[in-house]
Amino acid sequence: MLSEEHVKGETALSGRASARLTAPDVRTEFGLETLDMNMGPQHPAMHGLLRLVLELDGETVVRCDPIMGYLHRCQEKIAENRMYPAVIPLTDRLDYFANMHMEHGYVLAVEDMLDVEIPPRAEAIRVLMCELMRIASHTPSIGFLMLELGAFTPILYSFRERERIQTIFEAVTGARMMFHYIRLGGVKADLPPDIPEKIWEYIEDLESNFQRDFVDLIEGNEIFIARTRGVGRITPEKALEMGLTGPPLRCTGVDMDLRRDYPYSWYPNVDFDVITDEGGDVEASYRVRIKEILQSIRIIKQVLENLPEGEVMADMGRRIRPAEGEGFGRVESPRGEFAVHVVSDGSDTPYRVHYRDPSFVNMQLLQEIIPGHYLPDIMPIMGLIDPVSGGWDK
Amino acid sequence: MAIRLPEGDLETRLERYQEGLRAHGNIEEYETKGNTVQVTTAPGEVPAVLAAAREELNILHLSFITVVDRQGSFELTYELLDLRGGRVRVKTTVEGEEPVISTATHVYPTANWHEREAYDMFGMAFAGHPDLRRPYMWQDHFDHHPLLKSFEISTKRTFEGLR
Repeated sequence: MLSEEHVKGETALSGRASARLTAPDVRTEFGLETLDMNMGPQHPAMHGLLRLVLELDGETVVRCDPIMGYLHRCQEKIAENRMYPAVIPLTDRLDYFANMHMEHGYVLAVEDMLDVEIPPRAEAIRVLMCELMRIASHTPSIGFLMLELGAFTPILYSFRERERIQTIFEAVTGARMMFHYIRLGGVKADLPPDIPEKIWEYIEDLESNFQRDFVDLIEGNEIFIARTRGVGRITPEKALEMGLTGPPLRCTGVDMDLRRDYPYSWYPNVDFDVITDEGGDVEASYRVRIKEILQSIRIIKQVLENLPEGEVMADMGRRIRPAEGEGFGRVESPRGEFAVHVVSDGSDTPYRVHYRDPSFVNMQLLQEIIPGHYLPDIMPIMGLIDPVSGGWDK
Repeated sequence: MAIRLPEGDLETRLERYQEGLRAHGNIEEYETKGNTVQVTTAPGEVPAVLAAAREELNILHLSFITVVDRQGSFELTYELLDLRGGRVRVKTTVEGEEPVISTATHVYPTANWHEREAYDMFGMAFAGHPDLRRPYMWQDHFDHHPLLKSFEISTKRTFEGLR
Protein backbone atom coordinates (compact mmCIF):
# COMPACT_ATOMS: atom_id res chain seq x y z
CA MET A 1 0.00 0.00 0.00
CA LEU A 2 1.10 3.52 -0.61
CA SER A 3 1.69 5.65 2.39
CA GLU A 4 0.09 9.05 2.41
CA GLU A 5 3.28 11.03 2.04
CA HIS A 6 4.09 9.19 -1.18
CA VAL A 7 0.78 10.22 -2.64
CA LYS A 8 1.46 13.78 -1.62
CA GLY A 9 4.98 13.66 -3.02
CA GLU A 10 3.70 13.13 -6.53
CA THR A 11 2.22 16.61 -6.66
CA ALA A 12 5.75 17.86 -7.28
CA LEU A 13 4.95 17.49 -10.96
CA SER A 14 2.60 20.00 -12.45
CA GLY A 15 1.09 18.65 -15.62
CA ARG A 16 -2.11 16.85 -16.48
CA ALA A 17 -0.69 13.47 -15.53
CA SER A 18 0.09 14.39 -11.96
CA ALA A 19 -2.18 11.66 -10.59
CA ARG A 20 0.33 9.08 -11.73
CA LEU A 21 3.06 7.85 -9.45
CA THR A 22 5.88 9.87 -10.90
CA ALA A 23 7.77 10.87 -7.75
CA PRO A 24 11.30 9.42 -7.86
CA ASP A 25 11.17 7.85 -4.39
CA VAL A 26 7.94 6.02 -5.26
CA ARG A 27 9.52 4.69 -8.42
CA THR A 28 12.49 3.40 -6.47
CA GLU A 29 10.37 1.77 -3.80
CA PHE A 30 8.16 -0.09 -6.22
CA GLY A 31 10.93 -0.83 -8.67
CA LEU A 32 9.19 1.09 -11.47
CA GLU A 33 11.54 1.63 -14.36
CA THR A 34 11.65 4.64 -16.61
CA LEU A 35 12.40 4.61 -20.30
CA ASP A 36 14.74 7.07 -22.00
CA MET A 37 13.45 8.26 -25.32
CA ASN A 38 15.01 10.48 -27.93
CA MET A 39 12.80 12.87 -29.85
CA GLY A 40 14.32 14.66 -32.80
CA PRO A 41 16.40 16.36 -34.07
CA GLN A 42 14.73 15.30 -37.32
CA HIS A 43 11.17 15.13 -36.17
CA PRO A 44 8.39 16.02 -38.59
CA ALA A 45 6.49 18.14 -36.09
CA MET A 46 9.47 19.77 -34.40
CA HIS A 47 10.01 23.48 -35.00
CA GLY A 48 13.37 23.18 -36.69
CA LEU A 49 16.22 21.05 -35.40
CA LEU A 50 15.77 20.31 -31.73
CA ARG A 51 16.48 17.12 -29.86
CA LEU A 52 14.57 16.34 -26.69
CA VAL A 53 15.93 13.63 -24.42
CA LEU A 54 12.90 12.40 -22.53
CA GLU A 55 12.59 10.12 -19.54
CA LEU A 56 9.24 8.37 -19.63
CA ASP A 57 7.27 6.62 -16.96
CA GLY A 58 4.63 4.89 -19.01
CA GLU A 59 3.34 7.70 -21.17
CA THR A 60 4.21 10.42 -18.67
CA VAL A 61 7.34 12.47 -19.15
CA VAL A 62 9.31 12.80 -15.94
CA ARG A 63 12.36 14.60 -17.34
CA CYS A 64 12.93 16.63 -20.47
CA ASP A 65 16.32 17.82 -21.61
CA PRO A 66 16.39 20.01 -24.73
CA ILE A 67 19.62 19.64 -26.70
CA MET A 68 20.30 22.26 -29.32
CA GLY A 69 23.14 23.47 -31.49
CA TYR A 70 22.23 21.70 -34.73
CA LEU A 71 21.89 24.99 -36.58
CA HIS A 72 24.57 26.92 -34.71
CA ARG A 73 26.50 29.24 -37.02
CA CYS A 74 28.16 31.43 -34.40
CA GLN A 75 26.55 34.52 -35.86
CA GLU A 76 28.11 36.59 -33.10
CA LYS A 77 31.66 35.66 -34.18
CA ILE A 78 30.89 36.25 -37.86
CA ALA A 79 29.53 39.69 -36.97
CA GLU A 80 32.83 40.60 -35.30
CA ASN A 81 34.60 40.23 -38.66
CA ARG A 82 32.21 42.25 -40.79
CA MET A 83 31.57 45.94 -41.21
CA TYR A 84 28.56 47.32 -39.37
CA PRO A 85 26.18 47.48 -42.36
CA ALA A 86 27.25 44.02 -43.53
CA VAL A 87 25.88 42.41 -40.37
CA ILE A 88 22.27 43.32 -41.29
CA PRO A 89 21.80 40.53 -43.88
CA LEU A 90 23.08 38.03 -41.28
CA THR A 91 20.46 39.09 -38.77
CA ASP A 92 17.84 38.05 -41.34
CA ARG A 93 19.03 34.50 -40.79
CA LEU A 94 18.46 34.56 -37.05
CA ASP A 95 14.72 34.19 -36.60
CA TYR A 96 13.76 33.49 -40.19
CA PHE A 97 10.06 33.87 -39.45
CA ALA A 98 10.50 37.45 -38.24
CA ASN A 99 13.35 38.81 -40.36
CA MET A 100 12.20 42.42 -40.19
CA HIS A 101 12.27 42.44 -36.41
CA MET A 102 15.77 40.98 -36.33
CA GLU A 103 17.02 43.69 -38.71
CA HIS A 104 15.22 46.34 -36.72
CA GLY A 105 16.73 45.25 -33.41
CA TYR A 106 20.29 45.28 -34.71
CA VAL A 107 19.84 48.58 -36.52
CA LEU A 108 18.40 50.20 -33.38
CA ALA A 109 21.42 49.03 -31.38
CA VAL A 110 23.93 50.55 -33.80
CA GLU A 111 21.91 53.76 -34.19
CA ASP A 112 21.93 54.03 -30.40
CA MET A 113 25.68 54.68 -30.65
CA LEU A 114 25.57 56.87 -33.74
CA ASP A 115 23.52 59.91 -32.71
CA VAL A 116 21.62 60.06 -35.97
CA GLU A 117 18.10 61.28 -36.57
CA ILE A 118 15.97 58.86 -38.54
CA PRO A 119 13.49 60.49 -40.97
CA PRO A 120 9.90 60.04 -39.75
CA ARG A 121 8.83 58.38 -43.00
CA ALA A 122 11.52 55.73 -42.53
CA GLU A 123 10.36 55.07 -38.97
CA ALA A 124 6.76 54.72 -40.12
CA ILE A 125 7.76 52.32 -42.92
CA ARG A 126 9.79 50.25 -40.45
CA VAL A 127 6.77 49.88 -38.19
CA LEU A 128 4.54 49.10 -41.17
CA MET A 129 6.89 46.32 -42.30
CA CYS A 130 7.33 44.95 -38.78
CA GLU A 131 3.59 44.69 -38.22
CA LEU A 132 3.06 42.97 -41.58
CA MET A 133 5.85 40.62 -40.53
CA ARG A 134 4.08 39.97 -37.25
CA ILE A 135 0.95 38.87 -39.12
CA ALA A 136 3.10 36.74 -41.41
CA SER A 137 4.63 35.10 -38.34
CA HIS A 138 1.59 34.70 -36.09
CA THR A 139 -0.61 33.07 -38.75
CA PRO A 140 1.87 30.20 -39.42
CA SER A 141 2.33 29.85 -35.64
CA ILE A 142 -1.35 29.07 -35.36
CA GLY A 143 -1.18 26.87 -38.44
CA PHE A 144 1.73 24.83 -37.05
CA LEU A 145 -0.04 24.39 -33.73
CA MET A 146 -3.11 23.03 -35.49
CA LEU A 147 -1.03 20.84 -37.80
CA GLU A 148 0.57 19.26 -34.75
CA LEU A 149 -2.89 18.56 -33.39
CA GLY A 150 -3.85 16.85 -36.64
CA ALA A 151 -5.80 19.56 -38.45
CA PHE A 152 -4.47 20.24 -41.92
CA THR A 153 -6.71 23.08 -43.11
CA PRO A 154 -5.45 25.94 -40.90
CA ILE A 155 -1.88 25.62 -42.14
CA LEU A 156 -3.10 26.11 -45.70
CA TYR A 157 -5.04 29.21 -44.70
CA SER A 158 -2.15 30.60 -42.70
CA PHE A 159 0.39 30.02 -45.44
CA ARG A 160 -2.00 31.62 -47.91
CA GLU A 161 -1.88 34.76 -45.77
CA ARG A 162 1.89 34.52 -45.39
CA GLU A 163 2.37 34.16 -49.14
CA ARG A 164 0.25 37.22 -49.80
CA ILE A 165 2.30 39.25 -47.33
CA GLN A 166 5.48 37.92 -48.87
CA THR A 167 4.25 39.14 -52.25
CA ILE A 168 3.91 42.62 -50.72
CA PHE A 169 7.41 42.32 -49.24
CA GLU A 170 8.75 41.23 -52.61
CA ALA A 171 7.33 44.36 -54.24
CA VAL A 172 8.77 46.59 -51.50
CA THR A 173 12.15 45.01 -50.76
CA GLY A 174 12.92 42.78 -53.75
CA ALA A 175 13.13 39.60 -51.67
CA ARG A 176 10.55 37.23 -50.30
CA MET A 177 12.28 36.22 -47.07
CA MET A 178 15.80 37.59 -46.53
CA PHE A 179 14.97 41.24 -47.01
CA HIS A 180 17.97 43.38 -46.00
CA TYR A 181 15.51 46.26 -46.11
CA ILE A 182 15.96 48.13 -42.83
CA ARG A 183 19.32 49.88 -43.06
CA LEU A 184 21.38 52.00 -40.72
CA GLY A 185 19.78 55.44 -40.96
CA GLY A 186 16.49 54.46 -42.55
CA VAL A 187 15.21 51.93 -45.02
CA LYS A 188 16.63 50.80 -48.36
CA ALA A 189 14.03 52.41 -50.60
CA ASP A 190 10.74 54.22 -50.43
CA LEU A 191 7.52 52.29 -50.86
CA PRO A 192 6.52 51.86 -54.51
CA PRO A 193 3.64 54.30 -55.28
CA ASP A 194 0.92 51.65 -55.54
CA ILE A 195 1.94 49.67 -52.45
CA PRO A 196 0.09 51.59 -49.68
CA GLU A 197 -3.15 50.97 -51.54
CA LYS A 198 -2.32 47.29 -52.07
CA ILE A 199 -1.48 46.83 -48.38
CA TRP A 200 -4.76 48.51 -47.48
CA GLU A 201 -6.71 46.21 -49.81
CA TYR A 202 -4.96 43.17 -48.43
CA ILE A 203 -5.56 44.19 -44.82
CA GLU A 204 -9.26 44.81 -45.46
CA ASP A 205 -9.52 41.42 -47.12
CA LEU A 206 -7.73 39.68 -44.24
CA GLU A 207 -9.93 41.42 -41.72
CA SER A 208 -13.16 40.50 -43.46
CA ASN A 209 -12.25 36.80 -43.68
CA PHE A 210 -10.38 36.58 -40.40
CA GLN A 211 -13.27 35.44 -38.23
CA ARG A 212 -14.19 32.69 -40.67
CA ASP A 213 -10.69 31.34 -41.40
CA PHE A 214 -8.92 31.59 -38.08
CA VAL A 215 -11.50 31.84 -35.32
CA ASP A 216 -14.67 29.98 -36.28
CA LEU A 217 -12.67 27.14 -37.79
CA ILE A 218 -10.57 26.55 -34.66
CA GLU A 219 -12.09 28.02 -31.54
CA GLY A 220 -14.66 25.74 -29.94
CA ASN A 221 -13.47 22.68 -31.82
CA GLU A 222 -13.77 19.74 -29.48
CA ILE A 223 -10.41 18.18 -30.34
CA PHE A 224 -8.65 21.53 -30.12
CA ILE A 225 -10.05 22.15 -26.65
CA ALA A 226 -9.24 18.64 -25.46
CA ARG A 227 -5.64 18.90 -26.62
CA THR A 228 -4.88 22.45 -25.50
CA ARG A 229 -7.01 23.52 -22.53
CA GLY A 230 -4.99 23.17 -19.34
CA VAL A 231 -1.97 21.87 -21.25
CA GLY A 232 1.31 23.59 -20.44
CA ARG A 233 -0.29 25.77 -17.82
CA ILE A 234 2.11 28.36 -16.38
CA THR A 235 1.55 30.77 -13.55
CA PRO A 236 2.56 34.42 -14.04
CA GLU A 237 5.19 34.00 -11.30
CA LYS A 238 6.76 31.07 -13.12
CA ALA A 239 6.62 32.89 -16.44
CA LEU A 240 8.49 35.88 -15.06
CA GLU A 241 10.99 33.66 -13.25
CA MET A 242 11.80 31.87 -16.48
CA GLY A 243 12.24 35.17 -18.32
CA LEU A 244 9.40 34.58 -20.76
CA THR A 245 8.36 37.43 -23.03
CA GLY A 246 5.91 37.85 -25.86
CA PRO A 247 2.70 35.79 -26.23
CA PRO A 248 3.82 33.06 -23.75
CA LEU A 249 4.14 35.75 -21.05
CA ARG A 250 1.02 37.68 -22.01
CA CYS A 251 -1.12 34.52 -22.07
CA THR A 252 -0.48 34.16 -18.32
CA GLY A 253 -1.98 37.60 -17.65
CA VAL A 254 1.18 39.70 -17.27
CA ASP A 255 0.50 42.96 -19.04
CA MET A 256 3.81 43.68 -20.78
CA ASP A 257 4.58 44.67 -24.33
CA LEU A 258 7.85 46.33 -25.29
CA ARG A 259 6.04 48.34 -27.95
CA ARG A 260 4.12 50.13 -25.20
CA ASP A 261 6.42 49.87 -22.17
CA TYR A 262 9.75 50.53 -23.91
CA PRO A 263 8.52 52.50 -26.93
CA TYR A 264 10.79 52.69 -29.94
CA SER A 265 10.58 53.83 -33.54
CA TRP A 266 7.09 54.96 -34.64
CA TYR A 267 5.13 53.09 -31.93
CA PRO A 268 4.52 56.13 -29.66
CA ASN A 269 2.44 57.59 -32.51
CA VAL A 270 0.04 54.69 -32.90
CA ASP A 271 -2.74 53.45 -30.70
CA PHE A 272 -3.13 49.78 -29.84
CA ASP A 273 -4.09 47.46 -27.01
CA VAL A 274 -1.81 45.00 -25.27
CA ILE A 275 -3.54 41.63 -25.36
CA THR A 276 -3.49 39.47 -22.25
CA ASP A 277 -5.29 36.31 -21.26
CA GLU A 278 -5.75 34.62 -17.91
CA GLY A 279 -5.49 31.00 -19.04
CA GLY A 280 -1.72 30.57 -19.22
CA ASP A 281 -2.10 27.41 -21.32
CA VAL A 282 -1.78 26.55 -24.99
CA GLU A 283 -5.34 27.62 -25.76
CA ALA A 284 -4.72 31.04 -24.16
CA SER A 285 -1.58 31.54 -26.26
CA TYR A 286 -3.66 30.82 -29.38
CA ARG A 287 -6.22 33.44 -28.32
CA VAL A 288 -3.45 35.98 -27.62
CA ARG A 289 -1.94 35.46 -31.07
CA ILE A 290 -5.32 35.77 -32.78
CA LYS A 291 -6.07 39.06 -31.04
CA GLU A 292 -2.57 40.40 -31.67
CA ILE A 293 -3.08 39.94 -35.40
CA LEU A 294 -6.16 42.17 -35.15
CA GLN A 295 -4.11 44.77 -33.24
CA SER A 296 -1.43 44.62 -35.94
CA ILE A 297 -4.11 45.31 -38.53
CA ARG A 298 -5.16 48.31 -36.45
CA ILE A 299 -1.57 49.62 -36.30
CA ILE A 300 -1.05 49.14 -40.04
CA LYS A 301 -4.21 51.12 -40.80
CA GLN A 302 -3.12 53.97 -38.56
CA VAL A 303 0.34 54.08 -40.11
CA LEU A 304 -1.06 54.06 -43.64
CA GLU A 305 -3.53 56.83 -42.82
CA ASN A 306 -0.82 59.09 -41.40
CA LEU A 307 2.20 58.11 -43.46
CA PRO A 308 4.61 61.08 -43.24
CA GLU A 309 6.19 62.49 -46.37
CA GLY A 310 9.88 63.04 -46.95
CA GLU A 311 13.14 61.18 -47.12
CA VAL A 312 13.57 57.56 -46.10
CA MET A 313 17.32 57.64 -45.42
CA ALA A 314 19.37 59.86 -43.14
CA ASP A 315 22.79 61.07 -44.25
CA MET A 316 25.08 58.46 -42.75
CA GLY A 317 28.40 59.26 -44.37
CA ARG A 318 30.41 56.74 -46.26
CA ARG A 319 31.97 54.75 -43.47
CA ILE A 320 30.12 53.86 -40.33
CA ARG A 321 32.47 53.93 -37.36
CA PRO A 322 30.67 54.51 -34.05
CA ALA A 323 32.73 55.97 -31.24
CA GLU A 324 33.98 53.66 -28.53
CA GLY A 325 31.07 52.58 -26.36
CA GLU A 326 28.06 50.37 -26.47
CA GLY A 327 24.57 50.41 -27.87
CA PHE A 328 21.37 48.55 -27.05
CA GLY A 329 18.40 47.79 -29.24
CA ARG A 330 15.24 46.09 -28.14
CA VAL A 331 12.19 45.17 -30.18
CA GLU A 332 9.06 43.15 -29.58
CA SER A 333 9.40 40.32 -32.07
CA PRO A 334 6.45 37.95 -32.60
CA ARG A 335 8.10 35.56 -30.12
CA GLY A 336 9.01 38.09 -27.48
CA GLU A 337 11.84 40.39 -26.56
CA PHE A 338 14.63 40.49 -29.11
CA ALA A 339 17.51 42.53 -27.71
CA VAL A 340 20.85 43.34 -29.27
CA HIS A 341 23.95 44.57 -27.45
CA VAL A 342 26.68 45.98 -29.67
CA VAL A 343 30.08 47.00 -28.30
CA SER A 344 32.27 49.24 -30.44
CA ASP A 345 36.01 49.86 -30.21
CA GLY A 346 35.93 52.68 -32.75
CA SER A 347 36.83 50.54 -35.77
CA ASP A 348 34.83 49.44 -38.81
CA THR A 349 33.73 46.16 -37.26
CA PRO A 350 31.78 45.62 -34.07
CA TYR A 351 33.94 44.50 -31.14
CA ARG A 352 31.13 42.33 -29.85
CA VAL A 353 27.55 41.65 -30.87
CA HIS A 354 25.21 39.82 -28.56
CA TYR A 355 21.74 38.68 -29.55
CA ARG A 356 19.17 37.94 -26.90
CA ASP A 357 16.77 35.76 -28.81
CA PRO A 358 13.26 35.12 -27.46
CA SER A 359 13.18 31.54 -28.78
CA PHE A 360 16.34 30.68 -26.86
CA VAL A 361 15.10 32.08 -23.56
CA ASN A 362 11.50 30.89 -23.86
CA MET A 363 12.68 27.36 -24.61
CA GLN A 364 14.03 27.05 -21.06
CA LEU A 365 10.41 26.54 -20.15
CA LEU A 366 10.44 23.10 -21.81
CA GLN A 367 12.48 21.47 -19.07
CA GLU A 368 10.29 23.13 -16.45
CA ILE A 369 6.77 22.39 -17.66
CA ILE A 370 6.99 19.24 -19.79
CA PRO A 371 7.63 16.91 -16.80
CA GLY A 372 4.22 15.71 -15.68
CA HIS A 373 2.65 15.92 -19.11
CA TYR A 374 1.85 13.06 -21.44
CA LEU A 375 4.11 12.49 -24.41
CA PRO A 376 1.58 13.79 -27.00
CA ASP A 377 1.28 17.06 -25.04
CA ILE A 378 4.83 18.04 -25.98
CA MET A 379 3.89 19.26 -29.43
CA PRO A 380 1.10 21.63 -28.26
CA ILE A 381 3.57 23.01 -25.69
CA MET A 382 6.05 23.63 -28.49
CA GLY A 383 3.22 25.46 -30.20
CA LEU A 384 2.77 27.64 -27.10
CA ILE A 385 6.42 28.67 -27.08
CA ASP A 386 6.70 28.58 -30.88
CA PRO A 387 10.50 28.70 -31.05
CA VAL A 388 12.38 29.06 -34.34
CA SER A 389 15.53 27.08 -34.93
CA GLY A 390 17.55 29.91 -36.44
CA GLY A 391 16.73 32.00 -33.40
CA TRP A 392 17.68 29.69 -30.56
CA ASP A 393 20.81 28.42 -32.32
CA LYS A 394 22.09 31.80 -33.51
CA MET B 1 -2.55 37.75 -8.80
CA ALA B 2 0.62 37.84 -6.81
CA ILE B 3 2.61 39.63 -9.48
CA ARG B 4 2.98 43.31 -8.71
CA LEU B 5 4.48 45.35 -11.50
CA PRO B 6 5.95 48.73 -10.55
CA GLU B 7 3.75 51.79 -10.74
CA GLY B 8 4.19 55.52 -10.71
CA ASP B 9 6.52 58.03 -12.19
CA LEU B 10 9.60 56.71 -13.99
CA GLU B 11 12.03 59.27 -12.56
CA THR B 12 11.19 58.63 -8.92
CA ARG B 13 11.40 54.90 -9.60
CA LEU B 14 14.87 55.22 -11.13
CA GLU B 15 15.97 57.24 -8.11
CA ARG B 16 14.63 54.55 -5.83
CA TYR B 17 16.50 51.85 -7.78
CA GLN B 18 19.74 53.76 -7.55
CA GLU B 19 19.38 54.35 -3.82
CA GLY B 20 18.31 50.77 -3.18
CA LEU B 21 21.21 49.27 -5.08
CA ARG B 22 23.73 51.53 -3.35
CA ALA B 23 22.36 50.43 0.02
CA HIS B 24 22.79 46.75 -0.77
CA GLY B 25 26.08 46.31 -2.49
CA ASN B 26 29.49 47.80 -2.69
CA ILE B 27 28.80 49.93 -5.77
CA GLU B 28 31.87 51.47 -7.38
CA GLU B 29 30.18 53.69 -9.93
CA TYR B 30 26.62 54.58 -10.70
CA GLU B 31 24.98 56.61 -13.39
CA THR B 32 21.42 57.36 -14.46
CA LYS B 33 20.99 58.13 -18.13
CA GLY B 34 17.61 58.27 -19.84
CA ASN B 35 15.58 55.36 -18.50
CA THR B 36 18.63 53.37 -17.36
CA VAL B 37 20.36 53.05 -14.02
CA GLN B 38 23.84 51.67 -14.58
CA VAL B 39 25.89 50.41 -11.66
CA THR B 40 29.41 48.99 -11.66
CA THR B 41 30.39 46.60 -8.91
CA ALA B 42 33.01 44.02 -7.95
CA PRO B 43 32.34 40.46 -9.21
CA GLY B 44 31.83 39.17 -5.68
CA GLU B 45 29.01 41.67 -5.08
CA VAL B 46 26.95 40.74 -8.14
CA PRO B 47 24.67 38.14 -6.48
CA ALA B 48 23.91 40.56 -3.62
CA VAL B 49 23.13 43.41 -6.01
CA LEU B 50 20.91 41.18 -8.17
CA ALA B 51 19.14 39.82 -5.09
CA ALA B 52 18.46 43.37 -3.90
CA ALA B 53 17.10 44.26 -7.33
CA ARG B 54 14.72 41.33 -7.42
CA GLU B 55 13.64 40.96 -3.82
CA GLU B 56 13.50 44.53 -2.61
CA LEU B 57 13.19 46.71 -5.68
CA ASN B 58 10.79 44.31 -7.45
CA ILE B 59 12.68 44.26 -10.77
CA LEU B 60 11.37 40.97 -12.09
CA HIS B 61 12.89 40.44 -15.52
CA LEU B 62 16.47 39.52 -16.38
CA SER B 63 16.78 40.33 -20.05
CA PHE B 64 20.24 38.98 -20.85
CA ILE B 65 23.82 38.50 -19.70
CA THR B 66 26.55 39.63 -22.07
CA VAL B 67 30.23 38.80 -21.76
CA VAL B 68 32.83 40.91 -23.57
CA ASP B 69 36.38 39.61 -23.91
CA ARG B 70 38.69 42.56 -23.14
CA GLN B 71 41.82 40.44 -23.64
CA GLY B 72 43.00 39.85 -20.10
CA SER B 73 39.71 40.56 -18.40
CA PHE B 74 36.05 39.88 -19.04
CA GLU B 75 33.31 42.46 -18.82
CA LEU B 76 29.88 41.20 -17.81
CA THR B 77 26.63 43.07 -18.31
CA TYR B 78 23.43 42.01 -16.59
CA GLU B 79 20.47 43.82 -18.10
CA LEU B 80 17.35 43.97 -15.93
CA LEU B 81 13.96 45.37 -16.87
CA ASP B 82 11.26 46.44 -14.44
CA LEU B 83 8.78 45.90 -17.33
CA ARG B 84 7.40 49.43 -17.01
CA GLY B 85 9.97 51.54 -18.81
CA GLY B 86 12.89 51.34 -16.38
CA ARG B 87 16.15 49.51 -16.98
CA VAL B 88 18.89 48.55 -14.55
CA ARG B 89 22.27 47.53 -15.90
CA VAL B 90 24.77 45.84 -13.59
CA LYS B 91 28.34 45.78 -14.86
CA THR B 92 31.35 43.97 -13.50
CA THR B 93 34.82 42.98 -14.64
CA VAL B 94 36.35 39.58 -13.96
CA GLU B 95 40.13 39.38 -14.22
CA GLY B 96 42.25 36.47 -15.34
CA GLU B 97 42.51 33.82 -18.03
CA GLU B 98 40.19 31.36 -16.33
CA PRO B 99 37.37 33.55 -15.06
CA VAL B 100 34.99 32.46 -12.33
CA ILE B 101 31.94 34.29 -11.01
CA SER B 102 29.04 33.22 -8.80
CA THR B 103 25.88 32.16 -10.56
CA ALA B 104 22.72 34.26 -10.63
CA THR B 105 20.39 31.29 -11.09
CA HIS B 106 19.14 31.31 -7.51
CA VAL B 107 18.02 34.93 -7.92
CA TYR B 108 16.86 34.86 -11.53
CA PRO B 109 16.25 31.25 -12.65
CA THR B 110 16.23 32.41 -16.27
CA ALA B 111 19.96 33.10 -15.95
CA ASN B 112 20.47 29.34 -16.33
CA TRP B 113 20.77 29.23 -20.10
CA HIS B 114 22.35 32.67 -20.41
CA GLU B 115 25.16 31.43 -18.18
CA ARG B 116 25.45 28.16 -20.08
CA GLU B 117 25.85 30.16 -23.26
CA ALA B 118 28.52 32.38 -21.70
CA TYR B 119 30.37 29.30 -20.49
CA ASP B 120 30.21 27.75 -23.93
CA MET B 121 31.40 30.83 -25.80
CA PHE B 122 33.93 32.26 -23.32
CA GLY B 123 34.82 29.52 -20.85
CA MET B 124 33.38 31.69 -18.11
CA ALA B 125 32.72 29.40 -15.14
CA PHE B 126 29.68 30.14 -12.97
CA ALA B 127 30.22 28.78 -9.46
CA GLY B 128 27.12 27.09 -8.09
CA HIS B 129 25.39 26.71 -11.45
CA PRO B 130 23.12 23.64 -11.40
CA ASP B 131 23.74 22.42 -14.94
CA LEU B 132 26.79 23.98 -16.61
CA ARG B 133 26.87 22.12 -19.93
CA ARG B 134 27.61 23.57 -23.33
CA PRO B 135 24.40 24.38 -25.22
CA TYR B 136 25.92 24.84 -28.68
CA MET B 137 29.36 23.32 -29.13
CA TRP B 138 30.24 19.66 -28.73
CA GLN B 139 30.50 18.88 -25.04
CA ASP B 140 33.12 16.12 -25.17
CA HIS B 141 35.54 16.88 -27.97
CA PHE B 142 35.67 20.61 -28.58
CA ASP B 143 38.11 22.33 -26.25
CA HIS B 144 37.84 25.85 -27.63
CA HIS B 145 35.63 28.78 -26.73
CA PRO B 146 34.78 30.44 -30.04
CA LEU B 147 33.99 33.99 -28.97
CA LEU B 148 37.34 34.53 -27.26
CA LYS B 149 39.45 37.03 -29.15
CA SER B 150 42.30 34.49 -29.08
CA PHE B 151 40.18 32.11 -31.20
CA GLU B 152 41.24 33.16 -34.70
CA ILE B 153 39.04 32.38 -37.66
CA SER B 154 40.62 31.48 -41.02
CA THR B 155 38.79 34.17 -42.98
CA LYS B 156 39.81 37.05 -40.73
CA ARG B 157 39.60 40.34 -42.60
CA THR B 158 40.83 43.80 -41.84
CA PHE B 159 39.41 46.97 -43.28
CA GLU B 160 42.31 49.29 -42.54
CA GLY B 161 43.33 49.99 -46.16
CA LEU B 162 39.87 51.25 -47.08
CA ARG B 163 38.99 54.87 -47.47
